[in-house]
Amino acid sequence: MPKKKDLKKVLILGSGPIVIGQACEFDYSGTQACKALMKENLEVILVNSNPATIMTDPEIATRVYVEPLKADFIEKIIEIEKPQAVIPTLGGQTALNLALELHSKGILQKHNVELLGATPEVIRSAEDRELFRSILDEVGAKYPKSHLVRTFEHAKNVAEELGYPLILRPNYTLGGGGGGIAYSPEEYQRMIVQALHESPTTEVLVEESILGWKEYELEVMRDARGTFVVVCTIENLDPCGVHTGDSITIAPQQTLSDRQYQEMRDEACKIINRVGLQTGGANVQFAVHPVTGERVVIEMNPRVSRSSALASKATGFPIAKIAALLAIGYHLDEIQNDITKTTPSCYEPALDYVVTKIPRFAFEKFAGSKDLLSTQMKSVGEVMALGRTFQESLMKALLSLEFSAEGIPDVEYSTELVSYPNSKRIFQLFQGFRDGKTVAELSELTQIHPWFLEQIQGLVDFEKSLRRTPQLDKAKLLEAKRKGFSDARLSRLTSHNEKEIFSMREKHKIFPHYLQVDTCAGEFESATPYFYSSYWPEKSKPLQIEKAVVVIGSGPNRIGQGIEFDYSCVRGVKAYQRHGFPVAMVNSNPETVSTDYDTSNVLFFEPLTSESVIEVMRYLKPHGFVAQLGGQTPINMAHQLVAFGTPLLGSSLECIDLAEDRGLFSQICRELDLKIPNSLMVGSYQEALQSEATVGYPMICRPSYVLGGRRMEVVENRDELKSYFDRHKEFITSERPCMMDQFLAGALEVDVDLVRGVDWNIVGGIVEHIEAAGVHSGDSMGVLPPQRLKDETCEKIETLSKKLADRLGVIGHLNLQLAIKNDVVYVLEANPRSSRSVPFVVKAANVPLIDLGVAASLGVKAKDLHLENYNWRKVQTVAVKGVVFPFKKFQESDSILGPEMKSTGETMGRGRDYPEALMKAFLTSQMTFPQKGEVFFSLREKDKEPSLALAKELILLGFQISATRGTADFFNKSGIECLMLKKVHEGRPNCVDRIRSGDVSFVVNTTSGRESIEASFDIRRACTDYSIACLTESDAAEAFIVALKKTRDRQVFVSPLPSMKI
Amino acid sequence: MSAYLVLETGEVYSGHWNGGSERAGEVVFNTSHSGYEEIATDPSYYSQIVVMTNPMQGNYSVDNSVWESKRIWIEGFVCLQIQKSPRDQDWIRRLSENGIPLMSEIDTRNLVLRLRSGGTPWGAIVQAETEAEAFAKAKTLIEKNKHKNKDWVWDVSRKEKEIRPGQMAMGPRLAVLDFGSKENILRELEKYCRELHIFPSRASAAEIEKINPDGLMLTNGPGDPADVEVAQDTIRHFVGKKPVFGICMGHQVLALALGAKTYKLKFGHRGSNHPIRDELLNKIYVSSQNHGYSVDVKTLPSDVKVTHTNLNDNTVAGFYSEKLKCLGIQYHPEACPGPHEAQQLFRFFIDKMLN
Repeated sequence: MPKKKDLKKVLILGSGPIVIGQACEFDYSGTQACKALMKENLEVILVNSNPATIMTDPEIATRVYVEPLKADFIEKIIEIEKPQAVIPTLGGQTALNLALELHSKGILQKHNVELLGATPEVIRSAEDRELFRSILDEVGAKYPKSHLVRTFEHAKNVAEELGYPLILRPNYTLGGGGGGIAYSPEEYQRMIVQALHESPTTEVLVEESILGWKEYELEVMRDARGTFVVVCTIENLDPCGVHTGDSITIAPQQTLSDRQYQEMRDEACKIINRVGLQTGGANVQFAVHPVTGERVVIEMNPRVSRSSALASKATGFPIAKIAALLAIGYHLDEIQNDITKTTPSCYEPALDYVVTKIPRFAFEKFAGSKDLLSTQMKSVGEVMALGRTFQESLMKALLSLEFSAEGIPDVEYSTELVSYPNSKRIFQLFQGFRDGKTVAELSELTQIHPWFLEQIQGLVDFEKSLRRTPQLDKAKLLEAKRKGFSDARLSRLTSHNEKEIFSMREKHKIFPHYLQVDTCAGEFESATPYFYSSYWPEKSKPLQIEKAVVVIGSGPNRIGQGIEFDYSCVRGVKAYQRHGFPVAMVNSNPETVSTDYDTSNVLFFEPLTSESVIEVMRYLKPHGFVAQLGGQTPINMAHQLVAFGTPLLGSSLECIDLAEDRGLFSQICRELDLKIPNSLMVGSYQEALQSEATVGYPMICRPSYVLGGRRMEVVENRDELKSYFDRHKEFITSERPCMMDQFLAGALEVDVDLVRGVDWNIVGGIVEHIEAAGVHSGDSMGVLPPQRLKDETCEKIETLSKKLADRLGVIGHLNLQLAIKNDVVYVLEANPRSSRSVPFVVKAANVPLIDLGVAASLGVKAKDLHLENYNWRKVQTVAVKGVVFPFKKFQESDSILGPEMKSTGETMGRGRDYPEALMKAFLTSQMTFPQKGEVFFSLREKDKEPSLALAKELILLGFQISATRGTADFFNKSGIECLMLKKVHEGRPNCVDRIRSGDVSFVVNTTSGRESIEASFDIRRACTDYSIACLTESDAAEAFIVALKKTRDRQVFVSPLPSMKI
Repeated sequence: MSAYLVLETGEVYSGHWNGGSERAGEVVFNTSHSGYEEIATDPSYYSQIVVMTNPMQGNYSVDNSVWESKRIWIEGFVCLQIQKSPRDQDWIRRLSENGIPLMSEIDTRNLVLRLRSGGTPWGAIVQAETEAEAFAKAKTLIEKNKHKNKDWVWDVSRKEKEIRPGQMAMGPRLAVLDFGSKENILRELEKYCRELHIFPSRASAAEIEKINPDGLMLTNGPGDPADVEVAQDTIRHFVGKKPVFGICMGHQVLALALGAKTYKLKFGHRGSNHPIRDELLNKIYVSSQNHGYSVDVKTLPSDVKVTHTNLNDNTVAGFYSEKLKCLGIQYHPEACPGPHEAQQLFRFFIDKMLN
């Protein structure tokens, strides 16, 4: 059947901000779907609250709404746009849940809007575990014995029946949220309370353990006529017990016989049909007993997912695009295979390579949380690598993580770190073999299938042979490269240094060759230039691209470097193409739009190490490469690429060094008479003591070369200074000194993003932080245009920024972080690249910064640009950046904000005025506005006075106030009626008990100094556990109340993003 | 010494020798991810060296119960990497015990691209010190083997009739013409039949008539359908009288018996991922494939309708004639390896054609 004839306009729901379990894979799927539907001449209306996505660029859809993904806002959009249908299967669990809500509230029915791709019945039967199990019974599929529990009492009985360990799976949550494995009754009782709380329906499936079973995922598609294909089979290296998002996974599956696999395939098909999925992509997860082969179903998702993004990249089969086309009526056989251009899409990809995905974690960011993996997802990003063999693929994936140029560095072996699944276990497995452990021993400890362990052992055996005879010859070197060893690792293992190995490779012409991902294992000719490297082939297909520009991506998402940089890259690719330059994209992140094969002219799916990027350059011989768009990753390898002889586009190496080197940068600031905070570098505590007076307290300490403010702390006095050096001494040496910067307490911080061309420069916008100095810029909310800065200060900031850009000789992007205290502007940091704030600024100020940056790097003159079109001051709307945090996922982590970045994603609230924008920003960052009840305050001294007004306001709004002794005394004395609650150490019931009993609507808790922070930890943790808003800065509290007041208007106003002139 | 795969057209590929003896055969590639043991024991691979495109092979040991016949038929097994650990090297062992050369660490993709673009020549896997030595050895081997009997079907067919009881007491009695049958065709039929009489490929119509079968099954088998002796006549005798169902070689010989022509495909279809439009079952599904020849659609008689199409290249994947009571299916409804969706065609034959 061709496309539905009467369908003219569809609404696509996005997935909102990046959170653990729902990341930029939905930008990828949404963007792909929008592009496909626009090509079908449909009007596509897109809603998503995440400004850092490509999908929310005005060109991607007919109209883009950056609005909260909440039923009332969506209804408003439906009223305005009158779409005929909503597609809810492309925006993750968020979109599915929202679609269910729109349906159950009767909104879809009222406006006569159809749900395409998944009906409410389908969504329920996949998500409601009881319903799903009845479906499994009907098709004769097995599943682990389990009970759906709704009360604590029932939960206790169930545990007795099933025995420990037990798996907890709350209904309708994301990424296994609130779930886990309980090994003992104590653990179980604690977890069940939390799990019941997490489920929106207060339902938890308590399941017998299948720990240690092999885990598989089938990515499948079905069309309206019932044609069914398995796009990809994914096998988890980590057996059941670790969330599949946190597992190392391999495609295609490796250890199932054809008979076992086909049975699994049949069962997946039956389930999909019985669930009633009409069209689209879905995944079904299975567990297989390693010995008996018994198979059970774990779950299914009736939508595109993280693993379908992975499957698309792994196979070349564009699941999201095809899902969108199926939703509007096409059948699989009517859609051409994009890659071969000759065969239809109703086939199953054949792979002649092995794909490995490895998650990337951020435990180090959340002090106190244990690095343990369970059924609740914790990883923040992932890498994928392709190799001809599993060994090559695994080694490339490990290099892609960007932890170590060696890929598999030596570590200290510990049985504990092997036995308990954790983020570093893979390195432990390598070390185990180095230390002489056997496959049988490690398999016993980990339940990992011996096939995988043997492969790892094979790599370590090879290492051992190199250590025994550390002289490399041609054959040995080729063998090493085929096994995926990096030059850096080889230099550690042999008597040659890295440079010698590099020259040896050049001498013997040992280079990787580039193979095409063609969906068919070579069976058909394919024109799509999607490549991966391997040392196995004897030759590459010659590739001749004139004037190619290489854009280096940002690698795996991590806290501090995420989707914002993918936005820059993709936008940059399109801009270079518009200027007539074909673009080659290099990246290792399967979740992204940048690694879609039709984003760039050529895609190289490669680790972002200088070694592998140099090889791409050798193969491609490009016009130049771009280091400004992919965050810090490409900047870090710029020197080596230039040394190899590839021209750098945009700012020169000298410019980058001037901005990156603290010493040189301070010198320039002094030269230009720009204020910088007092600052010193010290190599030890002794040196720090000598310099403390020069910098002065409070100060910010941090080791050099850090990303996202890692180990950065505000230090208030000498005791804390000592404690800082005690805790971080291993990261501080005279070669890698500690930075001590004067801390401008109470200062207002701003982000400035500007672009400078040969004879022009333009400030894209100034983002004023809502929290005062001290909160990492990635974690603070921000507003454009600034609400507190005077106009003349803004002008001063612009002038100063441009002056600095001129002096640095920037060509392209410059991001500045500035602090303003008493109208004096201090320069805190300069980044000679596109920044985290760029996508927000682009959308808030309607200035195409990336396109301008590309023009700058190509030497375009002012006269050929229409710079007068862009002026952030003329923007009519106010935009507030909201922030989302993963504290809930990390037990024992503290939600207090500080100089170290902890957020995973951002949102944008657009409004006609500041309160409206604020309100939307909070709503989109998963905060709820309570309308009555008790507000609990616990304030540090300096915040008491300024909080009086807030407390009064809250009382006027109908709230009661409570506080700990000091704050309560102060409030009561100032005429504010305030209930006094005990602090934790003052006995019980105390304030934390009160929060945990659900008697508190929200909390304002400001604190500083290590000791006070520790003392008030329980307050913040209780809020995190119970999803109660907890404001840890007085400015944020003020903003929250402004927004809360705004909700009383009960106005729902939405507007699409204006189109952008390029 | 290294292993060499030498093609009769002159190309030489080197790799690692894993045992077996030096052999020659037609070099073909298969894109299935799994099922190496089923493939090796499928008589349709008689006289062929199979190149697996999936690089990692032998990962899940061996299993006698998946054998598709009583022996291994392939003349060589080629893959990039082979499972070899103290725990499991069963597949290597099984091949070498049967004298089948197993070559690994060869750039299989490069080889596959060669086969795709230039067709499937003969080749030989040999052990040698130098390329020149390999070339000479291979030439002799290829020459020696290439000119043997052309009726490959006869080579692999049972030479004695076999009777197997089925599981359905009320079901039909079928005559099966064994062109090199995969066990699973027989297993599928046993489910629905009272009795299977499995005849050698050169059985005459008269011999078969003796058992008065309810229908005739023509199995898969190796080689060029035009070289199959006797069977065309046998089949022609039954067409229009008794329901006939041919799979793969059976389908091709049936087509020839109906007066159609077959031709050699450039590199054949071998894999588990080929899409089929099935107008009998009225669905589109993914199928298991293994054939080097195809039926020329233009030569089929007018009362036979092409009901199954391979959607990758629009070649004939099956035909049906209600009038002549015959059904030909080019691919493998018996799967093993591969997906099961076409299995319903056995039901179609039993329920719709025999009743």
